[in-house]
Amino acid sequence: MATDNANADGFGEVSRVRGIVFEYLSLGASVFGLVALGVLLVYVSIDAFDLANASPVWLLTYFLTLVVPFLAFCLYSANDPAVTRRALGVLGGGLVAVAAVFTAIETLLVPIPRLNWQLAYLFVVGAPVTAYLTYVGSGERVGAVGFGFLGRLLGGAALGLAVGTLFLVFDSLVWFLAYTLGVVPAVALYAFGSARSVPQAQTAALPAGLLGVVAAVFLRGVVPTYPSDLLIYLWTIAIPVAAAGAFAVAERRGRTAAAVVAGVPLALAAAGGFAAAGAGLPAPTVLLVLVLTGVPTAVYVSRVVDAGEGLVGFALPVLLVGGVVAGALIVEALGVPAPDPWLDPSFLTEAPSQTPTEAGLYPAIVGSVIIIAMVAVLSFALGVGTSVFLEEYTPGSGPLGTLTRIIQVNVANLAAVPSVVYGLLGLGLFANLLGLGIGTAVTAALTLSLLILPITIISAQEAIRSVPDDLRRGSDAMGATRWQTTKNVVLPEAMPGILTGTILALGRAIGETAPLIMIGAATTVFRAPDSLFSRFSAMPMQIYVWAGFPQADFRYGVVAAGVITLLIILVGMNGTAILLRNRAERGN
Amino acid sequence: MTDSTESPDLSRQGGLTRLKEGTYGGLFAACAVITLLTTVAIFVTLLSDAVVFFRATPIAEFLTGINWSPNPAGGGQAFGLVPLLIGTLVVTITAAFISIPVGTLTAIYLSEYATPNARSILKPLLEILAGVPTVVYGYFALVYITPALKATLFPEMSTFNALSASIMVGIMTIPMVSSISEDAMSAVPDELRQAGYGLGATKFEVSTGIVVPASISGIASSYILAVSRAIGETMIVVVAMGAQARMPAIREAAFGIPFINPADVLLESGMTITVAMVQITGGDLTGGTLPYNSMFALGLTLFVVTLVMNVISDIIAERYREEY
Repeated sequence: MATDNANADGFGEVSRVRGIVFEYLSLGASVFGLVALGVLLVYVSIDAFDLANASPVWLLTYFLTLVVPFLAFCLYSANDPAVTRRALGVLGGGLVAVAAVFTAIETLLVPIPRLNWQLAYLFVVGAPVTAYLTYVGSGERVGAVGFGFLGRLLGGAALGLAVGTLFLVFDSLVWFLAYTLGVVPAVALYAFGSARSVPQAQTAALPAGLLGVVAAVFLRGVVPTYPSDLLIYLWTIAIPVAAAGAFAVAERRGRTAAAVVAGVPLALAAAGGFAAAGAGLPAPTVLLVLVLTGVPTAVYVSRVVDAGEGLVGFALPVLLVGGVVAGALIVEALGVPAPDPWLDPSFLTEAPSQTPTEAGLYPAIVGSVIIIAMVAVLSFALGVGTSVFLEEYTPGSGPLGTLTRIIQVNVANLAAVPSVVYGLLGLGLFANLLGLGIGTAVTAALTLSLLILPITIISAQEAIRSVPDDLRRGSDAMGATRWQTTKNVVLPEAMPGILTGTILALGRAIGETAPLIMIGAATTVFRAPDSLFSRFSAMPMQIYVWAGFPQADFRYGVVAAGVITLLIILVGMNGTAILLRNRAERGN
Repeated sequence: MTDSTESPDLSRQGGLTRLKEGTYGGLFAACAVITLLTTVAIFVTLLSDAVVFFRATPIAEFLTGINWSPNPAGGGQAFGLVPLLIGTLVVTITAAFISIPVGTLTAIYLSEYATPNARSILKPLLEILAGVPTVVYGYFALVYITPALKATLFPEMSTFNALSASIMVGIMTIPMVSSISEDAMSAVPDELRQAGYGLGATKFEVSTGIVVPASISGIASSYILAVSRAIGETMIVVVAMGAQARMPAIREAAFGIPFINPADVLLESGMTITVAMVQITGGDLTGGTLPYNSMFALGLTLFVVTLVMNVISDIIAERYREEY
């Protein structure tokens, strides 16, 4: 404090009380919003998972089989006696403190609804300690391997499900033709050009690819027979993914290892796909999930095994799955009543219903995934284009400079336009004037793309601006044209930043509801949309509709499950964005 | 300088290269122009339908009417903006009572008191507050805040009310105030602080007497931005505030002085401009009807108000910024 020297002779004494009170007041203000949000999140998770009905024995069982081994894993990875002491101290001391405080409040002041001290302990002490230890543990080698492995398994599965979902609306036959006639020749031309240094071949790749895609659209109606969906996905997605994996390994380990690392998951995925087809499961989705989980995981495993450090980390998924199974067995054996969570697998796979216990989010999830995929493509392309134009192509002065400044001010103002006004734009322009239809996925995607475009542009500009000028001048000095400098120097350097900004903006788009209401998105859809022009719902839209239902089971159950689903997806997206940024920062 | 007879081709006149350069430059320019077109499209879309509306309902009547009922059951359609303005003002002002003091104190803490470590943790955490989908906030207000307030402070509160919606809007806009204010405070040069300490000021006096006045333009512009965000906020109020456009009851105090009891407004349901727009979408969306057009008139009002506030905020931040 500034008043430390106030006691010397001849100086007046200054009261420190005011300053100290102010400091703690402002600290309190800083955490006020966070604490409020935290309390609300605790309650919504209690409702979604029906934890209020969880018996203490049930909680203790899972705490011992799932949470304690996880914490032990993190502590083992951190391998720091100070951290271990601190964590154990907080866990133990917190148990006593929470129990005492909670009981005191309940007996002396007011009863706290839907909360007991065991739950309070889990949320107030358990959750922060787990988060802290996850952070510390993942920083060391063993934890990094464990979380990297787990992340690739979960991320691959999520990606596979999302891609499978996209093919509910996008015509897989057009994709098959476009891939065969456009993408393959273009990639082949480009690879040939790079390998033999034939620049003409490289230049021709893009037009050739476009030509192939256009041809595909025309041939779609002409070609009479197609392979089955499973074969299409195998040829257009599984094989390229495996090839990319093999390529990544081949550089380091040689061809045999590459063939093994890519071939085994591919074969397994293909086998899984055919087996699923036989069992009546959605075979293409099974194939996509298996290949998108298997190949990145195999590449990662091969890299870690090569490095030879932190192999214990691979035990993490086993630990978690084992914990869940063991917990379930013990609960079963003890005959402890288990809570009946609203957020269970059937909630994610079923259609909405008037009966709370049967209500599900499936069509809304599909709608959200489709919209977000289109928004991602549109806003990324437009955002990168605009920011490159503003940062790389325009001078600071002259008429073009004035235009740049106008666009800049305009982007800043667009960022502050209320989202409901964008909804009106979508309704008036896209839905009615251009005739794209009220409440269709296309209208929603266009509207949301424009909505997040300013955020994407601003973050992409920041990323491009942070590329050092020396790199540009170096490229210029070697005779590169402006486009070559942009393509070879600026964009690769700025790409992690641009991607981070885009994903964060997409997080904004996935939660937007007001524009969807304005363009007339359906309040309830019982089937997943099957074309871009069918009416659809989205997750936030469904939450809004359900929140209007007066029954307590909807208010405190179904909606809570929907909110948690939406928030988990948001956390996943933002977590990916932050990981990307951290990795890029470490790379530099 | 060497004397070369054959000068290299530096003009880059290669046909294919030029074509390629031009194409890419054109593509990027087109992307940038789309942002301009968006603004134009918003203006034109809003204006074209709003003009039709204002032909049927004079602007003066729209701005001063005290009755809002676009889809009446038994006739008596009326498009008066005043009840909606009152609803919007109530939410905005109540939210500002939370976001402005809390946000300012947060900014002071982050910029003056927090250790670098604490700042690096708190700042991203605060951004979470602005990242939670607003429909989730609305749900929180309706399902958790309202019952909690009802059980403790205001037993006579109705299920849909302005107060809990405003509290949530206030919490949501805290990071808007804190992050922009903190940027402004961090930009105050350290010399000013050191000079303050040199004169014997305490940390509290330096923070409130030097840093805050020196960054007042940035702080003020952050307030305006937060308020403008609160005005345009839709989902929280739609979910938690209900949809009844009403004029507050005017009571008479002693000596016949009229006053409005805040409880009449805050504890009851109300309607903001944004809620009115959402409510109309429940009806016909293909266009051509008067309620449909009134939606665009409301949108235009909202657009103009928020735009003007942003421009004012920009001007304040630019013109009254202290240059160091």
